[in-house]
Amino acid sequence: MASSSLSKLRASWAIQVRVIHALMIRELITRFGRDNIGFLWIMAEPLLFAGLVGALWHFTHGATEHGINVIAFVATGYIPITLFRHGVSRSVAVFTVNQSLLYHRQIKIVDFILTRFVIEFLGGMMAYLFMAIVLMIFGQFPMPADFGLLIAGWFLYSSFCFAICLIIAPLSEMSEAMEKFIPATTYIMIPFSGLFYMLSWLTPAAREFLLLSPFVNGMEMMRKGIWGDQVTVYYNIWNPIICSAVAALIGLILCRRVRRMLTVE
Amino acid sequence: MSACSPDVDGRMIICRDVAKSYSHGRGNKRVFDGVNLTVKRGERVALLGRNGAGKSTLIKLIGGVELPSSGKIIRQMSVSWPLGFAGGFQGSLTGYDNARFIARIYQRDYADVRTFVEEFTELGSQLKMPVKTYSSGMRARLAFALSLSIEFDCYLIDEIILVGDQNFQRKCQIEMFEKREDRAMIVASHSPDFMRQFCNKAVIIDKGKADTYDDVDLALNIYSGL
Repeated sequence: MASSSLSKLRASWAIQVRVIHALMIRELITRFGRDNIGFLWIMAEPLLFAGLVGALWHFTHGATEHGINVIAFVATGYIPITLFRHGVSRSVAVFTVNQSLLYHRQIKIVDFILTRFVIEFLGGMMAYLFMAIVLMIFGQFPMPADFGLLIAGWFLYSSFCFAICLIIAPLSEMSEAMEKFIPATTYIMIPFSGLFYMLSWLTPAAREFLLLSPFVNGMEMMRKGIWGDQVTVYYNIWNPIICSAVAALIGLILCRRVRRMLTVE
Repeated sequence: MSACSPDVDGRMIICRDVAKSYSHGRGNKRVFDGVNLTVKRGERVALLGRNGAGKSTLIKLIGGVELPSSGKIIRQMSVSWPLGFAGGFQGSLTGYDNARFIARIYQRDYADVRTFVEEFTELGSQLKMPVKTYSSGMRARLAFALSLSIEFDCYLIDEIILVGDQNFQRKCQIEMFEKREDRAMIVASHSPDFMRQFCNKAVIIDKGKADTYDDVDLALNIYSGL
């Protein structure tokens, strides 16, 4: 009995992997087309953002801030926040947009969210890598001191982003007003994302407060992974893990509820 | 109706006390409730009902596109997606892209699906164009071809797709109703001739209730009197 349910689980897993693979290809074709650089466009926006703001800071704040290269600092902050903002905005109304796919029973609504998020996630990683290499060539980016910590921070940051998407997607189907709040909310999120500062630059009280944000914890880990002993960081890996788990649970419950009421043309 | 217990030899589709209502804003529209229906292999069920009676809704529920408000739908055989003009396609993708997508998610060999689609649809180079540029007849061809290339135990067909030119209708007749005589089929249609010719069971949906008839002629008579 146990082995039969295990093989059932394995079969379902194989179906979901196949579905997500097919959905990703479909999404990439519809979004980026087959012309010119195609899906490499996915890197364009995070790169532009990080590059331009980095250059701006370079001229307004000087080449370094607290002994850290400003361009690298801004770039490492902007790419994760772009992942968050894109992930959220692409989750809005994702069920309505993809409803014709619900004709195929093996496609589940969570697959829609996952597909879009994975694309943003891979795009963000590619942008990160590309930018780091280019900046390194110009001597503006250090060799990461601890790759493991950098990647762990990125994963924790991303997992919380994904958990938020799981909530946003069903909420946006329940109420159209949601859509209006999202740009303002993601903008307000910026100070809580760890983008422009390191906790060690702040007062202990502010530090305590900001450590409640899963984004800040992830961001500090990434920065420690890059600059190593050059920086002092504060983080608790359990904060993003627990926050992601709770948010994902709420999101999945909402998805289940919304699926029951979804009207498909 | 007899009690619906899952038969060991014959796999079935069972609708048990199925109800569907849509809520929109403050309003709550009940389409039907207490629908009980069993479909065995080889049965061709005609769904009869006025426009808006809920034929398409029932087909969508059986296909799993939408979920019932209450009740249960048990599928013991593989059921196609509802064949119609809407759903199932991505308009901005080409016919070939759609075929590739279907082959991937249903785990079929793309080369086989492609060959079948090319032969069955006779759409030629049009398959390289986005589906949104297709006429409704062309879409119907593609929808039929894709679902026939996957091979289901039960096909769900929404009436509108049965239109098409003579040549295509003949092809459908051969592929769907002759070669696949052993399959189950649930068809929403307004055409009495079609039903008399191909169906062996009928369901009339009227005023939120669904009644099953084993005699199609009788059902058609009752339906025309409604």
